[in-house]
Amino acid sequence: MGPETAFGDALPNQQTVDYPSFKLVIVGDGGTGKTTFVKRHLTGEFEKKYEPTIGVEVHPLDFFTNCGKLRFYCWDTAGQEKFGGLRDGYYIHGQCAIIMFDVTARLTYKNVPTWHRDLCRVCENIPIVLCGNKVDVKNRQVKAKQVTFHRKKNLQYYEISAKSNYNFEKPFLYLARKLAGDANLHFVESPALAPPEVQIDLVAQQQHEQELMAAAAQPLPDDDDDAFDG
Amino acid sequence: MMASSFEPTKEKIEKNEEDEESSGAGAGEEEDTGAQIAPIVKLQEVAVTTGEENEDCLLDLKAKLYRFDKDGNQWKERGVGTVKLLKHKETGKVRLVMRQNKTLKICANHLVLPTMTTQEHAGNEKSCVWHAADFADGELKDETFAIRFPSVENCKAFREKIEEIAESQGKKETEEGSAAAELIEKLSVASKDQETKPEVEKESTPAKVKENDAEEEAAVKKE
Repeated sequence: MGPETAFGDALPNQQTVDYPSFKLVIVGDGGTGKTTFVKRHLTGEFEKKYEPTIGVEVHPLDFFTNCGKLRFYCWDTAGQEKFGGLRDGYYIHGQCAIIMFDVTARLTYKNVPTWHRDLCRVCENIPIVLCGNKVDVKNRQVKAKQVTFHRKKNLQYYEISAKSNYNFEKPFLYLARKLAGDANLHFVESPALAPPEVQIDLVAQQQHEQELMAAAAQPLPDDDDDAFDG
Repeated sequence: MMASSFEPTKEKIEKNEEDEESSGAGAGEEEDTGAQIAPIVKLQEVAVTTGEENEDCLLDLKAKLYRFDKDGNQWKERGVGTVKLLKHKETGKVRLVMRQNKTLKICANHLVLPTMTTQEHAGNEKSCVWHAADFADGELKDETFAIRFPSVENCKAFREKIEEIAESQGKKETEEGSAAAELIEKLSVASKDQETKPEVEKESTPAKVKENDAEEEAAVKKE
């Protein structure tokens, strides 16, 4: 089943859940950090290596709020396909969207209107967040004051950094508030379930110790970075 | 849904609800410039449970957590937030729970077992490594973790606390083992007498835990 099929609310290869879920479409030029941003939320990792997304990847992403658990099905689309345009199937039944650009690459901001137009052709009246990513980089090409598109088209704008986690929760928080019509909705601590007991046998433990020695010799990815508030 | 009950323009997100960094952010970024759109779901406020209600916090430190990716032979970030050591008020069991800043999602959740030891990370006194069967995603996964603290002191405090807990948990287990054996004897006597003393029932918990252990072990071995 290809993504061009109309699914209604059901999504390909995704189990449905008994709590509210929303289709979130993420668009923007290639290399602006859409996949990195989604991965950051999914696993915590920050992927430096650029591997262009082919077509679309759909990832369920859950958040715990004071109004219960919510799920965004993140449709992480290929930015490189912009010349051909994305297939309508990616946009169809989209309930909210993020348009991403890179503040260190002016062209990616110039292309925002095209992404917005394509999106709005299929998705009318959905909450949209414009994200200027990579604000941690010193040499910005697009300054905060130069970002005006969101005012013309009534979008919400956030400066974010998938690298430093600056404002990284804000786009989801904003969309959740809009979709629920509750300006006071906020993230809460998800329940930390009691971990089950495990009995480690000696053989496994010895293996773990060896793995640990090897791992301890590998450098941490961002040893120079001392931000603990992100 | 009534559009009139929805007033997004009045939304004012408080500036100081979270720690704000100032990495070149525009001053007006917290204003809502979005269009007024009718909500598509109606949600009710729910009771929030952290799952930590019956635990005492033994340690609470800011840190950055990493997990080792065996396939790629590299460390990957898992989260930045607060690492806690929590002791259960009744069972006395201690676990490590770490939550991500802002989203408050769990990035580590595992018991501090008597076998748990930390090792210094090569050439970095602010970080250390250990192995655990982690339950952060709601299923047990073997993980090799590294954690980095803002200071050498905090890392030392963390490692010492873990060592202390692992030691006391080891002692506790030996004591409980003999206590459980004793209880099982008592219980078999009680059942013969057809008595149901509430205090015995309460005390039977360690024996029950043991049963679960056996089940878990079987489940782990199956994998």
